[in-house]
Amino acid sequence: MPITTTRRRLLAGSAAALALPAFARAQGAAKPRLTAISQWSAGSDGAAITALGKKFEEKGGVWQHSPVPGFTTEMMNKLRAQIIAGDPPACSQLKGPEIAAWSKIAPTVDLDAVVAAAGYEKVVAPDLAKLHKPAGKWIALPLQIYSTNMLFLSKRAMDKAKADNIPVTWAEFNDLAEKMKAGGVAYPVANGGTRPDDGQKFEAALAGISPAVYRTAIMNLDEKALKAPEIKAAFAQVRKIADWMDPNVGAQHFSTNLKRFVDGDMGMMIMGGWAQGVLRNAGFKFEDFMIAPGPSDNGKPVFLLNADAFIFWQRKEADLQAGQTLMAQLVMDPAIQTMYSQITGSIPVRTDVDLSGEGWSDGQRRTAAALKDAIASNQAVLSLAHNMAQENGMTAAMIDVITEYVKNKTIKPEQAATRLAEAVESAR
Amino acid sequence: MIRRLPEILTIWVPLLLSAAHLITFTLWTIWISFTPSTLVPVTGWVGLRNYSAVAASRNWQIAFDNLLLFGSAFVLLSLATGLILAILLDQRIRCENLLRSIFLYPLAVSFVVTGTVWSWLLNPGLGIQKLVHDLGWTSFRFDWLIDRDMAIWTIVIAAIWQSSGFAMALFLAGLRSVDADLIKAAQIDGAGPVRMYRRVILPTLWPITITVIVIQLQFAISTFDLVRALTNGGPGIATQLPALVVYDLMFQRSLLGRGAAAAVLMLLILLAVLLPYAAWRYVQRRRAIHA
Repeated sequence: MPITTTRRRLLAGSAAALALPAFARAQGAAKPRLTAISQWSAGSDGAAITALGKKFEEKGGVWQHSPVPGFTTEMMNKLRAQIIAGDPPACSQLKGPEIAAWSKIAPTVDLDAVVAAAGYEKVVAPDLAKLHKPAGKWIALPLQIYSTNMLFLSKRAMDKAKADNIPVTWAEFNDLAEKMKAGGVAYPVANGGTRPDDGQKFEAALAGISPAVYRTAIMNLDEKALKAPEIKAAFAQVRKIADWMDPNVGAQHFSTNLKRFVDGDMGMMIMGGWAQGVLRNAGFKFEDFMIAPGPSDNGKPVFLLNADAFIFWQRKEADLQAGQTLMAQLVMDPAIQTMYSQITGSIPVRTDVDLSGEGWSDGQRRTAAALKDAIASNQAVLSLAHNMAQENGMTAAMIDVITEYVKNKTIKPEQAATRLAEAVESAR
Repeated sequence: MIRRLPEILTIWVPLLLSAAHLITFTLWTIWISFTPSTLVPVTGWVGLRNYSAVAASRNWQIAFDNLLLFGSAFVLLSLATGLILAILLDQRIRCENLLRSIFLYPLAVSFVVTGTVWSWLLNPGLGIQKLVHDLGWTSFRFDWLIDRDMAIWTIVIAAIWQSSGFAMALFLAGLRSVDADLIKAAQIDGAGPVRMYRRVILPTLWPITITVIVIQLQFAISTFDLVRALTNGGPGIATQLPALVVYDLMFQRSLLGRGAAAAVLMLLILLAVLLPYAAWRYVQRRRAIHA
């Protein structure tokens, strides 16, 4: 759908570009106002967006955020209802390919001028940038990044295994797991039992075995790549991981097992960077665990990208339009991204933010370094399990196969690979 | 007219409003199920394509098989449990009111709570299995929750716990309404308690039995919150039920057309239960009038 740019917004955009900090006052006529919806209501997510709101108000804006607690889908239901009613929020949380899908049902704001003024495009991972300009123009802005395949190692489990080297490849990972098992670690892999949890095991396995096949098969859904031997190998690796997990987790959240992980009852955890914040909030210390990029067979870090973002919906009101421009500037601002990521434990979207200062953890520094390396070696790919690689319908069809495979040990890796290809075909 | 105003306001207005809602949204859903709607409703016609896609999906097939198993096991077992409880309570025991309240109490608990509590109880690492292990019997196994073949039975267990009290209450009312003369006559004829129940009392209960079956069946078909809280369709997708599939298609996968088709299929299953019941009621009433 073509996005029409009103002259007023173009003016607002260029005015903003010329007079960045003084923008709010320069506008004069319309006090910037922003209506926003997101699912972030509690915990560090809630704290971070509240802090962002404070900054928005400091710049003279009126911040009207309505959080929809619960699953992302509930936030989407509210968004859908508002769009159908012709009253979309000025900006809303939305991420990955859903940005492209939703931008077809209601007009969005062309952010090209503001983005160009901030010189933002140069400092964003290329695959990530693409998601936020589905028809060639920026309509959404990423806010923070997590890697979904970080490897968390329990210090006490490492002691039990008498190991101190962080595994780099899957072979080393498997060795360490065996050593842990032999050393008395009940379950070398800590885990939850939710769908994204199972999905993360698979995407970490495949991307670690071959980022190139991950890109063609999972991101581009190439038929030939979906039948590649690497897919089978990834399922075989997932089976190994599943055999090392506690089968009793049912459908529990991964955080249920964090104490056993820190105690050394469980050894390794393949989880998103957000687990650092959860561990810290649960009162555990940085000495209790180590964080490293997930296993990668070619030795260079593989980064499975998950990024939260805001999409901007077209509104006629001058104050909302001014609010959108102000919000866009804030979201791209390195100082704001620093503030936000330091609260949530993510890393900034901008690859030029310096993380050496205080307020950043080693895990965050390592994650940011991994992202830079991964972009340089073209190994930064989009997460399937967290709805970055495909639209929700396709993702769900693929995760069905993966979650059934993780829980049903009678399915062979080759069967799972065939089923995955079939699921993709029928969901197309 | 003025005298009947309260009646109109309290009965007819809400009734008409709900009927209008029900019919409008049912028709709306049926219409959506024939359109290519995904994120938002759109016009267009795709014939039965949504239906064939749903029927061919692994999720729906698993959900349908589960419904057959869960529906029949749940209805039969809750009927049996309710009947046994009712007969036991009917023995003029002490504290009947207290016991009756206890058995009925689960009905007052929301399904989400039931599902969550049972998910902890049935979790082998936390609940009953761990308790028995800690007591010393370490070879004891009760891990249905994580066994994909048995997991559907955990939902049966929780559902029975929740609603057999309801069957009990209806049966107890039925037992109490059996004509005392009939019982006395049987006693004079020398019938023992077992025979009395089998030959005299239980046959009078069958209209209640059918009512209980129908109510429980429609509950079974529309089960959603219980399974969502207890297993969330897992392990893997082993405990999918139709209502979960509808929700998943509509809101998780943003496939409104297919979700609507699955919802209409659920409606058809429900009608397959309700229409024969309505017909049976109709015949009964006709008979009563003619008798």
